Order: sequence, then C-alpha cells, then structure tokens
Amino acid sequence: MERRFKINDIDVKARAGEHLLDVARRYGFEIPSLCHHEALPPIGACRICLVEVAWGGRRELCTSCNFEVIEGMQVTTDTPAVQHHRAMNLELLLARAPGSARLRELAAQYGVRRTRFGPPATSPLPNCILCELCVRACEQLGNHALTMVGRGDKKRIGLAFNSPSEQCTGCASCASVCPTECIPVKDTAAGRTIWGQTHPLVLCKVCGAPVMTERQRAKAIAKKGLPEEYYDFCESCKQSTASKRFASIVW
Amino acid sequence: MARRGRLVIKPDRCTGCRTCELACAFVHSTGGLLGLSRIRIREAGAGPEGDRHLQMTCLQCIEAACVKVCPVDALVRNEDTGAIEVSERCIGCGLCAVVCPFGHMHFDRMLGRPIKCDLCGGAPTCAAFCPHGALEVR
Amino acid sequence: MARIGNAKQLAEYRKQVKASKPESRKAIAVCAGTGCKAFGSFELFEAFREALARHELDRQWDLRATGCHGFCERGPLVLFFPDGMLYQRVKSSDVDEIVQTTLKQGKVVDRLLYTDPQSGDAYIKERDIPFYKHQRRLVLEQNGQIDPCSIDDYIALGGYSALAKALAMGPHRVLDEVERAHLRGRGGAGFPAGRKWKTCRGTESDKRYIICNADEGDPGAFMDRSVLEGNPHSVLEGMIIGAFAIGADEGWVYVRQEYPLAIERLELALEAARAKGLLGEDILGSGFAFDVHINRGGGAFVCGEESALIASLEGRRGVPRRRPPYPAVAGLHGKPTNINNVETWANVPLIVGKGADWFRSIGTEGSKGTKIFSLVGKVNNTGLVEVPMGMPLRQIVEDIGGGIPGGKRFKAVQTGGPSGGCLPADKLDVAVDFDSLTAEGSMMGSGGMIVMDEDTCMVDVARYFVGFLKFESCGNCTSCRDGLERMHELLTDITEGRGTDETIALLEDLAATVKATSLCALGTTAVNPVQSTLKYFRDEYEAHVRDKRCPARVCKALISYTIDNDACTGCTLCAKRCPQDAISGQKKGPHTIDQDKCIKCGICRDVCTYDAVRVE
Repeated sequence: MERRFKINDIDVKARAGEHLLDVARRYGFEIPSLCHHEALPPIGACRICLVEVAWGGRRELCTSCNFEVIEGMQVTTDTPAVQHHRAMNLELLLARAPGSARLRELAAQYGVRRTRFGPPATSPLPNCILCELCVRACEQLGNHALTMVGRGDKKRIGLAFNSPSEQCTGCASCASVCPTECIPVKDTAAGRTIWGQTHPLVLCKVCGAPVMTERQRAKAIAKKGLPEEYYDFCESCKQSTASKRFASIVW
Repeated sequence: MARRGRLVIKPDRCTGCRTCELACAFVHSTGGLLGLSRIRIREAGAGPEGDRHLQMTCLQCIEAACVKVCPVDALVRNEDTGAIEVSERCIGCGLCAVVCPFGHMHFDRMLGRPIKCDLCGGAPTCAAFCPHGALEVR
Repeated sequence: MARIGNAKQLAEYRKQVKASKPESRKAIAVCAGTGCKAFGSFELFEAFREALARHELDRQWDLRATGCHGFCERGPLVLFFPDGMLYQRVKSSDVDEIVQTTLKQGKVVDRLLYTDPQSGDAYIKERDIPFYKHQRRLVLEQNGQIDPCSIDDYIALGGYSALAKALAMGPHRVLDEVERAHLRGRGGAGFPAGRKWKTCRGTESDKRYIICNADEGDPGAFMDRSVLEGNPHSVLEGMIIGAFAIGADEGWVYVRQEYPLAIERLELALEAARAKGLLGEDILGSGFAFDVHINRGGGAFVCGEESALIASLEGRRGVPRRRPPYPAVAGLHGKPTNINNVETWANVPLIVGKGADWFRSIGTEGSKGTKIFSLVGKVNNTGLVEVPMGMPLRQIVEDIGGGIPGGKRFKAVQTGGPSGGCLPADKLDVAVDFDSLTAEGSMMGSGGMIVMDEDTCMVDVARYFVGFLKFESCGNCTSCRDGLERMHELLTDITEGRGTDETIALLEDLAATVKATSLCALGTTAVNPVQSTLKYFRDEYEAHVRDKRCPARVCKALISYTIDNDACTGCTLCAKRCPQDAISGQKKGPHTIDQDKCIKCGICRDVCTYDAVRVE
C-alpha cells in the first residue's frame, strides 16, 4: 500500500507503515536527530526530529522518527515552533553532554551556544544523553546485555543487577552507535575492557594482533555458519596472504 | 544487468606510486587520511624489471562473507555499480572486517564503521588518478 | 455451587437468593473499605458479630462487611438496613450500646449520628446527610449494600442481568448501545468507549484482548480501588459484556500491587463467577467463552498509560510508545486490544441494563453519566463522591465537601491528579465535565480532587507535583525527563529565594516545550500544575522572586519566626519544645528566637497558647 503526502509542499510517496523521518531523508530533507538509527526500532527519545504535521483538521508537533506516514498529510520540517522546541531540547541535552562535539555543533545551528542548566543530578555515564541507541543495538544483536535502569530523573544505561554481564560479547557495537561517543572501550594486551569487564581477545594466528573478543567469535561461529578459520587472522595479515596468492597467479 | 563498468586491475602496470591510495583517501575523508584509503598497494617481490606491486581492494564478491555475517543487513549491493556498500543500517559490530577473507575491509574504531571500496558510485577515483593505466574502468 | 446454564436459570437463582435475603430483612453494613479498616472497622465487625451472637440477634440481623461507603472522613461507618440509618466514627466499645439501644429498643444513639459542624444539625439517615444528598451514586450505589465477597449479594440486586441481556441482544446491538450512551473513558482522556470498542471489533484478527486498567497511581486517589474492593463483580460484568461485544476471549486486569484487598476480592469474584458459569467456557449457555487474568503492577505511575501498561503486561519495561497504532488496532502481543479503566467498565452493566437513553439523561451534552472523585485536602468531608457530570465545582467543594475546615479561606482546587491544573476561587462555578475543565487549563483526569486553603503556597504545590512527576516519568523523552527535572530545579530556586523574573520566564518557556514535545500524556500534562498556577496565581510567584516573600508563609527560606514580646507570657513551652534549642528567655519573661539556629519547623507556633509566635 502506498501513501502520498507532502513534505514542505513537495509531493512524496511512501509505503504504508513507514516512518516519516526515513521517508523525508530519502527525499533529501534535512531533519536533525540524535536517537534515530535505520536498523533499530525508533523510540522518539531525543525529541529533536520534531516536525509539524497537519491532517484531517488536526495540527500536531511530533517526532518524525516514530511517526507512521498518513495519506494526504502535510508535513512542515522547519516552522518557528519546530525551531524553538528543538533549540530548547538541545539546550537540555547540552547540559547532559557538554563534551559531545556533535551535539555542540548541532545546538549551535539552533543558536544554542551555552546551556542555562547545570549538570544533571544523576548521570553516572558522563555525556550520555539516554538515547538508548546502545541498548537497542545490543538487543538487535540478540545479546540483551545492556538495559535502561530506573526511571524519571534517575534513569541511566546499565547492566542487569549492576554486575558484569554474561551476555556481553564485548563487540562494542554500543560504542559504535553512540552519538556522543560516551561509552569507554579500552583495548590492551590483556583484552578489551568495556562495561566493567575485560574480554579476552582472539589474536591473529600470524602476527598476534587482536582480531576480536573470544565471546564475539564463539557467538558469530554458532550463529553465522562461516568456517572457523574465517575468524583467525587480522585484516593486515589476511591482505598480505591474499596479495601473495594473487601475485603467484599474475606472475 | 546493466552495470556501469567494473574496476579492472592491471598489476603489471603498477609502479607502486600510491597515487590511487591518496586519491581514495581524499575522496573519502576530509584531509586525505591515508589510513582511510580503501585501496592499498602491496609489494609483491622483485621481478625482472624491478619491484612488483599489487593493488588490493574489495572484489565485490558475489557471495560475500561480509554480507553473510552482517547482523543487521547493513551491507547492500548497489545494483547500479555492483559495489557492496555500507549503509546507514550499520551498527558497527565489526564482524564484516573480521571475516573478509582478503583483508579488504578495515574496521575503524574511531568512526565505529567498516571502511571498504564503494566504487565511488560507478566512477572510481583511483582509476581516474592512476598515471600508469594500472586501474581501468571497463 | 452449581453452574447457571442460561438466562432463565439466572432469573430463578436470583429469586431463590432474594427469598433467602429479603430486602426487608434487617442488616448491619460495616464499611470495610481501606479508610474505615484503617480506623479499625475490622475489629468493629468482629465486635458486632460477637455481640449479635451473645444477644442471640444473629438470626434477625444480617451482618455484612461491605466496600467503601465514601464518607471516609467519618469512618468507621455503620449503615442499618432497611431504613438507611448511618452511624459514624463507631468504635468497638460502642457496640454494646448499639445493640441495647438501637437493635433491641429501636432507638437512636444520638452521639453516633453525623452532625454538621457548621449548622449543628444531626442526621439520622444516610441519604439526608449533605455529603450524600447532593451525590448521584450509580457506580457506587451498591458499595454500601453488598458483601463484596458474595456473588449472591450482587446477583440479588440484579447483578449479571445486564450480561444476560447483552447475550440476548448480540454483539452489534451492544456496541450500538454503548456508543449511543456516549460513555467516555473515565481513566483521564475521555475517549468515547463505544468508538474504541467498534474499532477493536472492526480490526481483522484471530484474537482480541480486553484490559481493565486498575493501575490507579494518582496520589490521594482511590476511586478505582474502592470500586474493585467494594463491588468487583460490577467491573467483571462490564468486562464480560465488553468482551462479548468486541469478540475477545481473554481479558486482563492490571492492578497495583499496592492494592492487596482489591486483588483478593477480585480473585474471589473471578472464582465465584467461574463456578456459576458466568465466566469461562459457554457463558450462560451462549457458547461465548471468556476468561480474565490478574496482573499485579510494580508501582510505576507511568504504567497507567495504556501503551506502557501493555508493554509491562508483555514483560517489557513500562515505557509508552507512539500511537497510532492504537491498542484497539495493535495492542497486547500485537492483537487488537480494548483497554478501559475500572470505572468505565463498572458503568457498562448500568448502560446495558437500564439503556442508553437512561444514561444519556444524566450529565451534560458532551459528558454523560456520573463521575467519581476522591475529594481530599483542606475540605471538611473528605471521601469518595459520585456526582452527575456538569455539577459546578463549588457544589462539590462546598455542599458535598462541607467547605474548608477551621474557618480558613478557599484558595484553589486541583482536579485530575498530579498533572491537573489548580483552579482559583473565581473558577469555582465551572462545570465538572471533560471539556469545561480542559478549557480552564485543568483536566478531568481519573478523578483526583485536592482542595487547598489560604495556607497553601501555590509555588510550593507546583514544585511538589513536578517533583512527583519527574520521579515517575519513564525517562524516555528529553523534554519530559530533563525538562521536568529542570523545572523542578527552577521551582526550588523560587521557593528558596534564589529566583528572579528570568527564572519565571525560563520556567514558562520550558513548560511550553515539555507540553508540546513529549510523547505521552504524562509529559504533555505534567506542566498543568505549573502553567495553571502561573496563570491564576502569578502574584505569588512574583512575591517569591521580587519581594523574597512567601505570601502563604510556607516556603521556609522566605519566612522567619519571631515572638511578639507583648503577647508572650514567658510560659517557656516553646523553648522546651524547640528541637534546636533556638528559643531562650526567662521564665515569665519574653522569649526570643535565635534565627541562626531556627530551622522553621513551626512547632513553637503550634504549641503557643497565647498566639505570640509570628511568621513573616
């Protein structure tokens, strides 16, 4: 089923059930967002991707990431109200994550160069804006190691029962998707340290460079069905081996 | 399938000048960080006319291990160019770079993303800049 | 307990029950609602039982422990049938006198009657007491009459006849009837129940659910609790009728863990209804099957929001999601789900039994029927009241509530729970219905009603409610989670004397964003206490920031206690009671308060018999 509607007076088409932000971005409209990720279910946490939507005599300010498209609606992506409320929510987030360059840059675009609010009372993870991308990525991977803990102003990202998780594979996808880069990951000879535990690493069979964590390897082998030796070498040694093989064919 | 041409590598013409690496790095990153180049020149020993070099870059495999291992279907083949591209769906788990049998993918921990050749949307910059005709688009 | 096979057998069974308990039979109904229980009604009930046995009156008098009668201020309450006499604040030690005087001689024990504190008039019958006289008790009517643990009591008063009628009508006529009655959801949003039911029925699916939302979380509200505790079968009958009309075969009651009595009585009701063939397979021989499970909520306020409630029921975190899709289309486990609150379900048997036309005759154009409120705060008659929609606020506060205690002046009333607005005296004539309250910046909510007197600081009130809501926000939205926390900080600044005009301006600005950009109703309504007090009591905010003065003398940072030398007799009582030893002075000489030591607890003022302690 197809849905036709207008974004900033331009005709667009989408599939029924698609979310507005995805459609708008496909058509090249710029809508800022901090908690959206194409591969993860939208939750509307950051409240930055606000747009104004009018349909059936109603007019609503809503987040576009979790808004299912409606036939015949009129979307405006940059009204004064949208700008104003985006700025206020950015100012609130800036107080949480003053260390995030990406957030500072985005806030500055909305005229917010400093925040009138102090650091939040509860924030065990500095610069975390509670967008839950890490939690959703971890769920998507089927690991379910990360979770939201508490509610209201006490809400935080954490591990179940506050103890190192047996589910965590140390894959660091959480750190990869984090918009404020606030999740610490440390790779040393001893292993990868993340979320309160150090994961032993699989080392390259040729040079001994770290390849991945043992848990991530075990899980990938069990799940993905590729031969085990696919997980044995570092990028550089694989390329070196391959180049030698290619050379023997060419010359 | 009407593809816009493929990248053809001619190792015997490569002099190892690394112009391709530089061109790639400038196209794909601000400041031309060589570490972010998707093509790499490897030394392949000495031949009768001097040192040999090989240009290593993604082969855009038909049954690609990277595509198979991705948990979120983020690696998508561009039907126009034939390139396997890293889409916005990527959550940065790094498995693709681990399993690529040729080491053609590099996982960049700072970016939280894998780095791989996307054929520049059908017109590979490396080929355009290669002064010796060692990279061609056919 | 035999199964009742069909409507005819139900009617016969009702006759039997009635014959064994004729309405003319004398009965004593001891309120066993939570309020009266706290006052000792359990002991009172036991004392009655023992006394009736001792005096061999237990064959003449039927003794019942009933649900909440509503007049909680005056508990424990004892109601006598068939004449409807009410004794209030009855203690176990009164039982012997009641037996001797009332039961044996038929005379009234005057001191146990309700006496109006203002007029001094005593009332014998419950229905004549002003608190009850102005009410229209439909949902609560049977609360004082039946033993909530007895399905027979409910059946005797016509219980489950609406279900039999609905089964005969067929689902579509029931849907039409509920839609025509214009029953609006009592949980807060006031969405037309009939429309919701029809949407749910009209959504193609192999399975449908219905849910009863009994996650009543408003501080000081106990409407749903009292209905579940006092008349669980009325809610259950409503759910069965709803399930039949909608085509659902499974239902859930999501009830707070903090309501153990409601859970216990509901469990009893479910068992009794199953045994009688009114729940489970082949209900009343109609072939229709439906059963109900109970789920205990973990105490998160936000789980009263329907999408959060469903998430919680599915075993996930109670976090609201964007609607649409509405639960009626995709709810529990993705199936069409109809969710209504306790009071809405309890209205259903009345509508089906007495007809939509009867229901429509009560209330206003846009809001039909009655609404139950928890009337609490600075009002003489606190308790549970049920009034027809459209009654002016003033009548609820003054006539039913009996006005403000201690001769104080009325200041504001907050309707709709913690996220309701505070309406001032000049809004007292507003009609209490869904649309009028919303138009004035407050809301119906689920029916909390808190009365405030002149000693209440409106800034402090706003700060209290924002504090509650910032704690209870699920924390998903930046605007609600961070916005409310920051609003609470700003309000604290104002009450502690650090506020400026800019603080007020930022507070207003922030409130607008929280309201406009939060996902669920918790966030969008959370600013009501702030916006309404800013609208109606702005002078109080300004006094706090400009004059550093709290007009109601509540905000500790802005007040100081002093002793009036002329009035002080030097009795030393205040000095003895001061927890900080901040008061000094010679016996029979004037005393003074050391401001550096004073923590402004107000004990000196409370204990002073000469009214010598001043607050500025």
